[in-house]
Amino acid sequence: MPRMDERDFNELVDKYSEQLYWHIRNLVGSHEDTDDIVQDTFIKAWKALPSFRGESSPSTWLWRIATNEALAFLRKQRVRAALRFESLDATAERVIDDDPWFNGDEAQRRLAKAIFRLPDKQRVVFCMRYFEEMSYEDISEVTGTSVGALKASFHFASEKIKDLVQLEQD
Amino acid sequence: MRKNNGYNVPDGYFEGLRTKLSSIPAQEKQPTRFQKFAPYLALAACFAIAVLIGNFILNKTTVPSASDDEIIEYLISSDITLAQIEDYLISNQ
Repeated sequence: MPRMDERDFNELVDKYSEQLYWHIRNLVGSHEDTDDIVQDTFIKAWKALPSFRGESSPSTWLWRIATNEALAFLRKQRVRAALRFESLDATAERVIDDDPWFNGDEAQRRLAKAIFRLPDKQRVVFCMRYFEEMSYEDISEVTGTSVGALKASFHFASEKIKDLVQLEQD
Repeated sequence: MRKNNGYNVPDGYFEGLRTKLSSIPAQEKQPTRFQKFAPYLALAACFAIAVLIGNFILNKTTVPSASDDEIIEYLISSDITLAQIEDYLISNQ
């Protein structure tokens, strides 16, 4: 595969920046944080472009960088919350309720908060499957997790989401 | 078609985002081959300088050695007698 250059990079930006934004937004919730992570993702992609050998498709490669960036952000967010003695529920409330760029109805608000309470792996597979409607095979390529494990994670995540949404309703 | 999850973005956000992202190559110039190897070259240069300095110090502090012929030549040309040499050797045994 020929080496990618600036023109190829701009094609990736045109083709995938919006989809990638929503991928990250579903994972981290806040618009401001998503904006930062999208930029970090493309900066990393640009720096890694010379070593991109085309073993996976450019979209899989970008999704992998973005997912790793989002997960790294979530880990830091959890550490910061722990240092402030803030619970996961309180973080979810803060991120979703304080985001001026969330205008969903009550059901969507409950769903967003429930997703926030999922463990990282379950959150990733749930968002990619439910919102992005990606196949398990594609998710497997991005995350490096087996299809079987992804199916199990999605099942557990869905059950948890149902319980959490139900709990909020009561 | 994206599933509506309640999230939205400011008007014209994606156009602005694309412009911002397209400027990344200009801001983050990829390092040239020389820049990539510069740290290794600097390390090699430091090593070479250390070797040169070490060599210089050793040359300055080491007593110069002379061959047997040079010593004999020196002794012949000097006023030292054979008896004096014998005395010196006996006293140092």
